[in-house]
Amino acid sequence: MPTYSLNVNGQARSVTVSSSGMPLLWVLRDVLNLTGTKYGCGITACGACTVMIDGEPKKTCDMDVSSAVGKAVVTIEGLSKDRSHPVQQAWIQHQVPQCGFCQPGMIMKAACALKAGHHGKEIASECDNLCVCGTYARVRNAVAGL
Amino acid sequence: MTATVTTASADIASPDRRRFLGTTGGLTLAFSLGAAGLAASRAEAGTASAAVNAWLSIGADESITLAVGATEMGQGSSSSLGQVLAEDLMVSWQRVNVVQGPPTLVAPAPVGAAIATVGSGVVRGNFWRLRDAAAIARETLVQAAMNRVGDADRSHYAVADGVIRHLSSGAALTYGAVAADAAFLKPPSSAPLVPDEQLRVIGQSLPRQDIPAKVDGSAVYGLDVRVPGMLFAAIRHCPTFGGTLAATPSAPAGALAVVPVSVAAGTGRGAERAGNVNAVAVVAGTTWDAMRLARGLSLQWNLPPAAASWNSAQFVADAQALMTQATPYAAGAANPPGTLYTVEASTADPATALSQPGTRIMEASYTLPYVSHACLEVLNCTVDYTPGVRCEVWAPSQTARNALAMVCGLTGLAESQVVFHTTLLGGGLGRKAEVDFIAQAVQVAMVVKRPVQLVWSREEDYTHDQYRPMAVVKVRAGLDTGNRVVGWQYRNVSPSILAQRGSVLGPKGDSQGYEASHALPYDLGARRVEWVSHPSPIPVGFWRSVGASINTFAVESMVDELARTAGLDSYEFRRARLTDPRWLAVLEAAATLGGWRSALASGRARGIAIGAAFNSVVATVVEVSGTSATSFKIQRVSLAIDCTLVVNPANVEAQLTGGVVHGINAALYGQQTFAAGVAQRRNFNTNRMIRIGAMPQVAVTIVQRNAPLDRSVPIGGVGELGVPTLAPALANAVARLTGTRVRTLPFFAA
Repeated sequence: MPTYSLNVNGQARSVTVSSSGMPLLWVLRDVLNLTGTKYGCGITACGACTVMIDGEPKKTCDMDVSSAVGKAVVTIEGLSKDRSHPVQQAWIQHQVPQCGFCQPGMIMKAACALKAGHHGKEIASECDNLCVCGTYARVRNAVAGL
Repeated sequence: MTATVTTASADIASPDRRRFLGTTGGLTLAFSLGAAGLAASRAEAGTASAAVNAWLSIGADESITLAVGATEMGQGSSSSLGQVLAEDLMVSWQRVNVVQGPPTLVAPAPVGAAIATVGSGVVRGNFWRLRDAAAIARETLVQAAMNRVGDADRSHYAVADGVIRHLSSGAALTYGAVAADAAFLKPPSSAPLVPDEQLRVIGQSLPRQDIPAKVDGSAVYGLDVRVPGMLFAAIRHCPTFGGTLAATPSAPAGALAVVPVSVAAGTGRGAERAGNVNAVAVVAGTTWDAMRLARGLSLQWNLPPAAASWNSAQFVADAQALMTQATPYAAGAANPPGTLYTVEASTADPATALSQPGTRIMEASYTLPYVSHACLEVLNCTVDYTPGVRCEVWAPSQTARNALAMVCGLTGLAESQVVFHTTLLGGGLGRKAEVDFIAQAVQVAMVVKRPVQLVWSREEDYTHDQYRPMAVVKVRAGLDTGNRVVGWQYRNVSPSILAQRGSVLGPKGDSQGYEASHALPYDLGARRVEWVSHPSPIPVGFWRSVGASINTFAVESMVDELARTAGLDSYEFRRARLTDPRWLAVLEAAATLGGWRSALASGRARGIAIGAAFNSVVATVVEVSGTSATSFKIQRVSLAIDCTLVVNPANVEAQLTGGVVHGINAALYGQQTFAAGVAQRRNFNTNRMIRIGAMPQVAVTIVQRNAPLDRSVPIGGVGELGVPTLAPALANAVARLTGTRVRTLPFFAA
């Protein structure tokens, strides 16, 4: 069983998995118990599994864990200690979530866009994950001020 | 009417209550949000009786906790209930902590045999009883304060923000200070509510309690349950419904077990039969290992011989044949699928009215597909089973009480040996009102005897759903020379949700199937509304707005076709045939919001539709741009609702906007298709839904009718109401824009 050294939310984490092909999503969820990152489709269609890797939004449901080695992985749990990240603040202020299941992925998309220096409508267009509840209008409102 | 306070207790006697309310000591009211009559008695302070479905606890530490049975699946009702409670308890809304209670707190709901968070019912079903209970709790606390102060004249006290003040002495007692005393008092049978003009909380757009945990990953859905030492299991079903496993495979390398799983009693719908082994679960150390090993298994199934003919086109052909060949319902007869039920019939026969010379006849068939739920959180359930002793279950369930009964039935354990946790739901939409996935997880746990989380892959979730029923609806109507509608014949052929759940249908058929097709307030002349049960092998179930999503499409499309035939404006045509003040007000509000009378940019058109469901009336105006029925964009959706009263306007707006998106997804793309019994749409790449780029402008207006608040007026639902009028308003807009009338959903079937 292969072992990998990962950097997740600023911490060095050693993980042992059944095979090198195990997607990062399941390493996060089932090995590290970081369940904020969600499984939605397994085929990179919905974006619920999005995390920040070296500042970029990456869908983790088909990303081999080995390809995350040597990179900085930030999940929704690591975005801030106290919901103080501007995207989290905007999400609370604009009351974006309904069921909330897609929101970690959506927030990570927005956080990456903000980090890249994007603003407002530009961020909105990058928040192209699937939300079955249909919170898109509030996502737009929330990122309008970012 | 009073709240039904069944127990008040100082000691939190039952383990369940201790678990949910903590052990702060203080006043606990256990009350019913669903039954009448008062039975206050400390002697009953054991486990909650069947009639009790909420606990209110006011702790000596000033905590205020409301434990409810209803499920939070994104609709925000848990926050709204807390908001209602804060009003008559006279505390700030931030102090009320609403928690998920045990399944014994789930109120029986009058939907078939289900006991569930369904029917847009949580707030509207509990509003008055919760207010009464809050007022009774408040006055019990005031009584305790009066005893303490030694002045029994209630008019000498004022209550504000959780503090009881004795006006002459200035003595001030907090709820927490008197909570322990109050627990020994008999609560009054009724208590005055806050007068309408003094309402501070009800009707305010307050923040939802559940949102902070949903922005930092700490919200725990069913899939997020983690138990020390747990395993993961992935389900793999027979590709068709009604099949059985031919041979149990051995566990592949890397798997800890392969467990045959059978259809539990009471969960077999359509071709599925209780007792059939229709799935296997592969158990492994992670979800991914379980899923990949399940996918790789070579399995042999005995398929039902008829499965080869289970094709979408055949289902539609069968429905079209039944349109003319159904057998009329006969009281006392078996009335098998294929029976024609009369939902509504006027004394005058529409056939006669429509045969009058000079009548212009419009006749059309509308065809709607099976639609998947596709909640973003796939079905899952976690079970920790100790043989013969205990079973702990974590499930994203809309119907925890049914699930609890299922767990007891499968394990042979008593309710007191089962600990059932209802988690947050990553969407429910009606699918999580079923308990099939819970029964499967229990079966697996009983074999592996370790904590195990059963997960359906997205593909299993899509292909083994209990779908929104398909339907073929034929409408025949006619206009006289004065454009009066003189006759209306309406026949809906559709699989029965309730019959698949064992209900014996009465003379009108399936209430879920015919809802929103009858008692229409339009002047339609002579009318006859019929419903025919379609003998579908496909499992069908409750889906956001259920039958209203089918019938409102057919009714409002035909009304528009009549307006077109009459050469009249869609809005004016409707208005002139309505007298119901609610419908008229909502129609007018939607038209105003949607700018119905304003000039349109070139290449644009508007459509309108109106309907009613769950005691609410809703109308939608859709504005589209484009060039054809296959090339258009939804620009703007304007929706008006009369839900009779509003607790949280911002949440009403959110729910209706979400319903609009749900309606758009279903109208444009939503369908499950079948070939030789196998569901064809397996993931989000073949069953599209809109993303943010296609999100139209959505505006919502609430037609206020709640001054004064009136107990005798049934409260309207909100959660499902955005859905039914979207598809017809869109089809009507596209027809005006392009001249092409779309009568078969979805718009984009490929």
